[in-house]
Amino acid sequence: MAAPAGRPQRADDAGPPPHDIMEQAAQWYALLVSGEAGAAERAQWQAWLASHPHHRRAWAYVESVSQRVLAPLQNSPDPRLLADKVHAVDARTRARRRALAAIGAVAGTGLLGWAGWSRTPLGGLVASWTADYRAGFGDIRAFTLQDGSRIWLNAASAADVDMDGGLRRVVLAAGEILVSTRHGDPRPFVVDTPQGRLRALGTRFTVRREPGRTFLAVYEGAVAIRTAGNATAGVIPAGQQARFGPDRIDAAAPADPAREAWTRGELIAWDLSLAEIVDELGRYYPGHISLAPDVARRRVFGTFPLRDVDGALAMLAEAASLRLRRPLPWWISIEAGPAAVPPRS
Amino acid sequence: MSASPFPYPSPPSVGLLYTDHHAWLRTWLQRRLGNAADAADLAHEAFLRLILKPAPRGFDSKLEARAYLRAMAQGMCINLWRRREIEQAWLDTLAAQPPAFAPSAERQAIVLQALQEIAALLSELPPKAAQAFLMSAVCGMTAAEVGQELGVSSRMVRKYVAQAMLRCMQAQAMQTAAALRQAAAP
Repeated sequence: MAAPAGRPQRADDAGPPPHDIMEQAAQWYALLVSGEAGAAERAQWQAWLASHPHHRRAWAYVESVSQRVLAPLQNSPDPRLLADKVHAVDARTRARRRALAAIGAVAGTGLLGWAGWSRTPLGGLVASWTADYRAGFGDIRAFTLQDGSRIWLNAASAADVDMDGGLRRVVLAAGEILVSTRHGDPRPFVVDTPQGRLRALGTRFTVRREPGRTFLAVYEGAVAIRTAGNATAGVIPAGQQARFGPDRIDAAAPADPAREAWTRGELIAWDLSLAEIVDELGRYYPGHISLAPDVARRRVFGTFPLRDVDGALAMLAEAASLRLRRPLPWWISIEAGPAAVPPRS
Repeated sequence: MSASPFPYPSPPSVGLLYTDHHAWLRTWLQRRLGNAADAADLAHEAFLRLILKPAPRGFDSKLEARAYLRAMAQGMCINLWRRREIEQAWLDTLAAQPPAFAPSAERQAIVLQALQEIAALLSELPPKAAQAFLMSAVCGMTAAEVGQELGVSSRMVRKYVAQAMLRCMQAQAMQTAAALRQAAAP
């Protein structure tokens, strides 16, 4: 009996998650629903999710099964009675099948990944618990530095500040920071990220860490960038934003003033995708927010309160005709469907 | 009455198989199901499957072809009975609810579809894994509670649940792939 020709294994992002990763995702699911997972296990699971795109794609399958097949049954009038009856049917089916010489016709399994999407806020934070300035989930904090400059830390963000040398130096360890520098101090004001150094030229700007990159938006003055890898330099003027990696600075684009709104506890969505909004809200929510892939690209307009994620999600559900589910108390799942908001936990 | 053991001189086409065996298969199914319409449907489906997925070794004789078709039809009967019984299980569950409870037709169809899918998947798993998954994933019982009912450790329950979830994920992946293929077809 000839084995079917092997499917080429692809390691790139579009390839299927390998079998052992699918297995790991299933094991995480089993642990999370077992009632035996505490905060430590959940943190490990989030770290697992964050550590590789394959993990997130495999988890997307868990989510689709959970949304498409399990949720309707969990929400049925009497899940226990239903489960007992399904079990009885299953037992009869098995008895019938035992009497049958089965045909060994097993369909080949072509695992095809889809762009699963899921937010994992914990990765950067774990490394930043020792930072000088921190803002936890759901927290937006403002600090006045020794020189009179002001910084706002967005949720799930952390920074170290060093004012002792000839520099006013802020190291962004995680998340996002808005800086409003104090004029008159002769020492240069810099913000460091793994991708490079930003030097304020009298100014107000936000810096945000993204995987492998740094995002910069300048609202007043200008900011000079010097990349860490090859010292590429560039200046971003007020009203512009840009991303950079260790070796190159992307072309600047007009800055979105709404990006500053978080300092007031607001998220202003002007034609943002649902994925972007949930990504943002996830910074203010200590649990897990998952988003069904089929609605991730919907565009949304509106202003949402950042200090009340439950409220923001309820508004979102109503505005975009979505359904919110809570498979577990710390897990909110967003799906297509008529607006129905579960009770707050 | 019984199939003649005449060998096929060359691999038979589906057309030839249909001429030789369709009427016989329909009669066989009708005896088994007691319903002419169901029998006609399943006989039709059996030949469709034969077109989409020919028997791996082909057939050397009529006898062989009939043995294969009979085994296939038996499997189809078992699936049909399962689908009917699942539908009945859902109707019985609904009937057990207070009279005021009436989910919309759309909602009912969603639940029934989910039930059919899960029943089909569970039947491929070891019985205890199937049961553990129902209790844990559908009823929301903890691993300790499930373990107590099934007489196994909670660690074992987690293993069962993971096994069942993996099977569901694979089915989901196949479905997604099939949907994409269909979408890509002209």
